[in-house]
Amino acid sequence: MNRLKHNWRICRSVAAVTYKEWSAYRTHSLVSVIVGPVYFMVQYFIWTAVYGGQATLGGLDLQQMIRYFGATALIGYLIMDFADWNLSMLVRTGKFLTFHLRPVDHRSFALFQKLGHRFLGFVFEFLPCLLIFILIFGIDMRPASLPWTIVSVLLAFLMNFYVNYTIGLTSFWLVQSGGIRSAFMLVSGIFSGALIPLDFFPHWLQVTQLFLPFQYIAYMPAMVFTGHYSLGGLELSIPEAVGMQGAAVLVMFGCNELVRRRAMKQFTAVGA
Amino acid sequence: MKRYVEVYKQCMYSAVQTASAYRMNFIVSSLITLIGNILFPLVTLLIYRAGTSFPGWSLYEVLLIQSVFTMSSGLSSLVFGGVMWTTMSHVREGSFEVVLLKPLNPLFYLVATTFSTESAGLFLGGAALFVFSAWHVGAIPALAWLQFAGMFFAGTAVLAGLSLMMAAMSFKWVGNSRISELADSVLSVGKYPLPIFPKAVQAAATMIIPVGMVGFLPASALLGRVGASDFAAILPCFVFLWAGIWVYRHMIRLYEGVGG
Repeated sequence: MNRLKHNWRICRSVAAVTYKEWSAYRTHSLVSVIVGPVYFMVQYFIWTAVYGGQATLGGLDLQQMIRYFGATALIGYLIMDFADWNLSMLVRTGKFLTFHLRPVDHRSFALFQKLGHRFLGFVFEFLPCLLIFILIFGIDMRPASLPWTIVSVLLAFLMNFYVNYTIGLTSFWLVQSGGIRSAFMLVSGIFSGALIPLDFFPHWLQVTQLFLPFQYIAYMPAMVFTGHYSLGGLELSIPEAVGMQGAAVLVMFGCNELVRRRAMKQFTAVGA
Repeated sequence: MKRYVEVYKQCMYSAVQTASAYRMNFIVSSLITLIGNILFPLVTLLIYRAGTSFPGWSLYEVLLIQSVFTMSSGLSSLVFGGVMWTTMSHVREGSFEVVLLKPLNPLFYLVATTFSTESAGLFLGGAALFVFSAWHVGAIPALAWLQFAGMFFAGTAVLAGLSLMMAAMSFKWVGNSRISELADSVLSVGKYPLPIFPKAVQAAATMIIPVGMVGFLPASALLGRVGASDFAAILPCFVFLWAGIWVYRHMIRLYEGVGG
């Protein structure tokens, strides 16, 4: 119990310090207040034109599609992460060594940092954009089920972190993981469902996505938000979908732990 | 003038030499850029695969717009792509004086020394998609090619102007690595047929921030879909480039050299 309390205090302190540190650059977050609505506006007109006379596309009607893109944009602000870049930098410069001297392991530290950083995102990106979507675009941004949406977004948050951290761990072998990072961002951008709902992909590719981490980062929480999840012929109720997402996060955590242990054996502490 | 050409040639040579020194990084970066470009029109492909379309536009016509957009981005990025990041870095570190001390126009110096060889992949990826889509849209008359060339360079001027404006912004918005996202978001309008947007957006995208000239209008010229009024949009493109240069030079004068 004491240990749990101790860890909670560390988490709170790291998150609070990160929040304060990044608050100095809060106007950087405010870029999203312009960028998010512009991208959303483009998507709005693209899909309004594409729907034309069609009632549904990929199993979604126009209103659901607009809500889907609104949700993916907003969820993106809550789960955004660059743990891979950060870890890669620490390994390359040799600064990772200092984390071995601290009474908290680097992965937990990075996760707590992300919590603080994204709380800032919640205040300066999520809330303003939510208001813009509701008040200017007139989009109904009420989730089908608020509790399940919160759980799903939290799981997406963890999934994104563990995936990115695993990518960052490759730096222990490659030193510079920029190439892998770019490749991953490219693939993730497409298969996470942030550009287009995964229902539009060929059936075999949809089935493949069930076994890859990408859909659990954006597509699944967005579909939980809309209240309807189906992929590759698999129709799940919202609790079932969130359960599957939870299982996927556990598997990803296991993979991350495996790679992390191997990476620690590889660490030479001299930097590049 | 001759001296400037010589300096530029030398900088290009250095950039190529640098790329060959880190050739693995260069090959991987170029490959990722190339693959990224192949995947860029994926959304369009999936939309058409679902049996729907942008009203009045066939798949290959939309791909043509997107390929022209990519080629224009590649060309602009090759020449002007590094100016923003280098300016931002100098301003943040307070080392812009080093640029100002060079016996050359500071803007020219930055443009020349940031020649971005990795962007060749972007241009080539766009060119490959361009050949593929142009092949499928039918015969294109010689006059249309001429109109296309003029509009293509006007579109590249818009991108250059936008790069310079973003770079100029970094003098005041110190260390904000997200400035480029502002330009990217505005440019996303130029990747699709303009008629799908409301009239106000169309007007803004041709006359105020002429991003329509980056992909849509040059492709429309090839397809024989431009009217006389569309050519009037060429002028704002060069005005936009001039505005970018003016704003950048103005911001240099405001530079105080204290770092961020």
